[in-house]
Amino acid sequence: MLFEIDGLPVYFPYDKIYPEQYAYMTSLKQTLDAQGHGVLEMPSGTGKTVSLLSLIVSYQQFYPEKRKLIYCSRTVPEIEKALAELKRLVEYRRSCGLQESILGFGLTSRRNLCLHPSVSKEKKGKVVDARCRNLTASWIREAAQSGQDVETCNFYETLENNDVREMVEDAVYTLDDIKEIGKAKNICPYYMARRLLAHSNVIIYSYHYMLDPKIADLISKELSKDAIVVFDEAHNIDNVCIESLSLDIMRPTLEASSRSIGQLSERIEHMKQQGSEKLKNEYEKLVQGLQDTLQARDEDLIMANPALPDDLLHEAVPGNIRKAEHFVAFLKRFNEYLKTRLRVLNVTAETPQSFLRHLKEITFIEQKPLRFCAERLSILVRTLELNNLDEFAALSKVAALATLVSTYDKGFMLVLEPYENDNATVPNPILRFACLDASIAIKPVFERFSSVIITSGTLSPLDMYPKILDFKATVQESYPMTLTRNCFLPMVITRGSDQVAISSKFEVRNDPAVVRNFGNILIEFGKVVPDGIVAFFPSYLYMESIIAMWHEMGMLTEAWKSKLIFIETPDAAETSIALDNYRRACENGRGAILLAVARGKVSEGIDFDHHYGRAVVMFGIPFQYTESRILKARLEFLRDEHRIRENDFLTFDALRHAAQCLGRVLRGKTDYGIMVFADRRYAQQDKRSKLPRWINQYITDTSVNLSTDMGIAIAKKFLRSMAQPLETQAQLGVSLWTLEDVLAKQRAQKERLEKAGVNTVHQQLYQQYGAAEAQRLIQERASGAVYMDVN
Amino acid sequence: MATNGRRQIDEDDEDIIDVDDSSLQNNQANYAWEEEYKRSWDVLQEDEHGSLAGVVNSLQQKAKRKRLLRDTDPIRRGIIRHLFIVIDLSSAMQEKDLRPSRLSLTFTYLEAFIAEFFDQNPISQIGLVGTKDGLAEKLTELSGNPTEHIRALKLKKFQESYGEPSLQNALELARSSLIHVPAHGSREILVIMGSLTTTDPGNIHDTIAKLTQDNIRASVIALAAEVQVLKFLSTQTKGTFGVAMNEGHYRDLLFEVIPPTAVTTTKAASNLVMMGFPSRSNESAATLCACHGKLTLGGYICPRCNAKLCDIPTECDICTLTLVSSPLLARSYHHLFPVENFIEVSWKDAGSTTACFSCQKSFLSPHKTSIQIQATTDAGRYQCKLCEKTFCADCDLFIHDVLHNCPGCLSQPRPKTDPRRAVHNGAGTPSHAPVVPSPLSGGPSRMILG
Repeated sequence: MLFEIDGLPVYFPYDKIYPEQYAYMTSLKQTLDAQGHGVLEMPSGTGKTVSLLSLIVSYQQFYPEKRKLIYCSRTVPEIEKALAELKRLVEYRRSCGLQESILGFGLTSRRNLCLHPSVSKEKKGKVVDARCRNLTASWIREAAQSGQDVETCNFYETLENNDVREMVEDAVYTLDDIKEIGKAKNICPYYMARRLLAHSNVIIYSYHYMLDPKIADLISKELSKDAIVVFDEAHNIDNVCIESLSLDIMRPTLEASSRSIGQLSERIEHMKQQGSEKLKNEYEKLVQGLQDTLQARDEDLIMANPALPDDLLHEAVPGNIRKAEHFVAFLKRFNEYLKTRLRVLNVTAETPQSFLRHLKEITFIEQKPLRFCAERLSILVRTLELNNLDEFAALSKVAALATLVSTYDKGFMLVLEPYENDNATVPNPILRFACLDASIAIKPVFERFSSVIITSGTLSPLDMYPKILDFKATVQESYPMTLTRNCFLPMVITRGSDQVAISSKFEVRNDPAVVRNFGNILIEFGKVVPDGIVAFFPSYLYMESIIAMWHEMGMLTEAWKSKLIFIETPDAAETSIALDNYRRACENGRGAILLAVARGKVSEGIDFDHHYGRAVVMFGIPFQYTESRILKARLEFLRDEHRIRENDFLTFDALRHAAQCLGRVLRGKTDYGIMVFADRRYAQQDKRSKLPRWINQYITDTSVNLSTDMGIAIAKKFLRSMAQPLETQAQLGVSLWTLEDVLAKQRAQKERLEKAGVNTVHQQLYQQYGAAEAQRLIQERASGAVYMDVN
Repeated sequence: MATNGRRQIDEDDEDIIDVDDSSLQNNQANYAWEEEYKRSWDVLQEDEHGSLAGVVNSLQQKAKRKRLLRDTDPIRRGIIRHLFIVIDLSSAMQEKDLRPSRLSLTFTYLEAFIAEFFDQNPISQIGLVGTKDGLAEKLTELSGNPTEHIRALKLKKFQESYGEPSLQNALELARSSLIHVPAHGSREILVIMGSLTTTDPGNIHDTIAKLTQDNIRASVIALAAEVQVLKFLSTQTKGTFGVAMNEGHYRDLLFEVIPPTAVTTTKAASNLVMMGFPSRSNESAATLCACHGKLTLGGYICPRCNAKLCDIPTECDICTLTLVSSPLLARSYHHLFPVENFIEVSWKDAGSTTACFSCQKSFLSPHKTSIQIQATTDAGRYQCKLCEKTFCADCDLFIHDVLHNCPGCLSQPRPKTDPRRAVHNGAGTPSHAPVVPSPLSGGPSRMILG
């Protein structure tokens, strides 16, 4: 359908639209008009992606600036879904008779796109990257051109010899389409996509291409500043930011890097003996401060700088590491220093400054050369023309640590722990370099791009994200879900049938009465809920202990009578087998329970729609492990810098994960499911207020303080009434709008605005603009002219 | 909602059959989920004497006539039906969420169902399959004799329930009998499932695929909640799926199966079915019957091979001729040409009639009824569109549910040619306007059916 939002014609590729989609688009439009950032929360399964795409593409094509859309999503399946939606949208626009050229495609790693017969067989992303580099590095190609017998990649060669822009028509390409084109034209899909970035209208790729400085610098550098950046499923964006600047170093890492250093010096010796001019050249150029010329083109730059571009020093590499052998000795010293540091027996935490001071005292390494470590290493690697870069991963990690620790003094923390976790008895020291400030990594994005939209199904409370990411949002909105029937039933079970309060609080979590009541919830729901049930625990540790206790109590045998039980483990392969079988059990009527962990793989990105999840139970509140030093440091940082109280942040973090888990059960309006919050503390107002609005609106007073048996009774009734046939006719006008409904709504809104008068200048302008357009729209509609082309 | 409740048209037909009085009571009690929306106090308004009697009367009538108006377009229906009822006899059936328990309610309803089913579909056959403890067991074979099934239902040993059901085993068992059924009859399975799980020896999706292939339609009534595999089964095989909300709704779902379903138009050509009309013989000395091999006094003699059979409708065991009696056929016939729904007469037009054409009960006169009452009640007159005779609500019900003929139309001296029959003769309905033999003639004769 085609309708207008404040004068912008929006092509929406479906006949019906949900009211919240309309509201979402209106807010989105406001954000884009104001050239500001937005935080928008909309329930999962209500067509967020399609509303986003259809509004932004309409916006992009309507205004002469043609602002580029960069859509960042989290996983490859999500990227593919968005691409499919975009393809559909563009086809729809074309079928409406629009003559426009839209180039849109997705970008993913080499591993997913490679066509090379042997390289593409590799399973690990890093190996594919390294092998690709072995075939496409500039010196390899030079050698091949000069007639030496070196293997190169055919696909890349064709790409190099042709103009990509001419080879690819304007259209939307899904990841598969890109591969198809690559196959058909014999060009490398990965590099083709990368070269097309600058020309495209819509780009869909992973967060990391935008947030991780190591990659962002390579890929997203050339994107224009007025681009619209969207982070979808962004509820975890702060963690992504933090992870992109955090490092863990363990003994094996240091040992591997020692070996690499050895290889480097051997190679240098070898080169010297051969009398190669290359090392000399390199030195000359570094003396002149011309390291930029040594920086290779995109293909060669694999060891990118881990720090953000703005924070880099733009000056010559200091004298003491200009010579290759000096630099290698320097690295060696630093590496040895780290080794001594890892010989700790107790936990120490320190700031980057104190680390540097100590480093200087012991090894006389200054801060400045340290900052150039990563850069210098990549120059050296290029000069030495090294292959098989994956072997140098450990060394580049050490170099990255050196650069990061000397570049940032605030918002970071070094933690040395002798044991990997609390339960381990064998010492396995680990040096964690932790970023505490999520805003550091995302800052360049906010500064560079005028409109950044953060959106997800669970972003509540909305004011938290602007705080921790340090930006100002022009629009912050959370949309409720309009439903003709209450198709999900959130309930808070606070006590068992025996009236003992249940909680995953540390003091009581292993109390047999609590464990038994948790078990009873599972058994009882297993009896009344058909097909699949997913149960989430706060942590693996707690899940293991509780399952062991259930087993002793004989509760598992009881639960087995009604359902099969599957368990998520930290091992990805095991979990995927469990998931597979879980689905099968749901399909053939056996019924199954999946026990999973709130921060695990299952809780993120795997949907339990329809019969795959008729009920989801959240046992306890998934608080983070509060004894962790890094978390403590982060909490302290948040309190000092952003005035966020520890408790607020912990609750916020726990509840967004809980909401995320429970949101898995509902994917769309035809779906239905039960959401069980099994903890006494969910009944408290401060916890509930942090849940997304769309869940909160359906938590009624009667369902807040239930015991297990009451919960079961409500669930039974709910399941029966939900199983009654649903008629789409009844939804029309309420939770599903046709074009007429949209226009009627617009008219009503206009009248209301006129009546209410206007308060601020901004609003006045906005409304005049809107009203004038609306007037025109109504006139045109009366003459029937405007919709002729659509229908 | 309450004022136009009567005009409400729903797809699901709810048959009120006066087999026992409980059915009417059940239908008077609304479903629980409907009650949530009803504001009964808005409906009740006192008349000028402060009495509620008139309003209450009218409400009662409404409830009686709440029978959902059915689709009266004649369509081709398979009136020779073969239905297997799969009953879940697992431990889940002992749940007491349906009173007195799922199991005993199911058995009570099934007795009524079987009686009613044969009343409406006299030339059809039923078989019963029970499943418990991972096994399936045939309670009765496919047969057209209601007493046999009802007797089986009353047997103690069949009423025990334990273990888990096996849907696959039950479906396979039913299928193994249904595939031998001649092509002119429909093949149906009705699954009554209380359990949320099924324990199967193999992949149930294979069985479902086979059912689809064999043109077997499986409908499901679940007693607890929507189970994916059951829903999948019914959608794949083009059956219906329902979840019982409460006792009354359960009954409605069950009785929805009684009207024969429309025949899919895959077999466009109408094929002829040979049928025999056996004569009843009374013998002085007992002879062996062909069906059971027992000595019996009297029975039906097959017109083709002269074998003696105990009961009709059945298939002759000797020559496989389908044996029916003409009254049975005549009764099946009303499904093809149902009496059209009567239209409600408004108070405005009510002045012209004073009494019900059928029972002669006098109507309330519009002149004697206050405007106030007229606003809240209806005139209680229902008119046949063809003969324009007016009936009371009770007669309306009786005509549609039991009589299947409009007394007004039949009493007209020269019956109009039924326009519906004329129109639809060419359109897939039986092309031979069947000459129904008089119910009295029991002699051997043959007839053809489309």
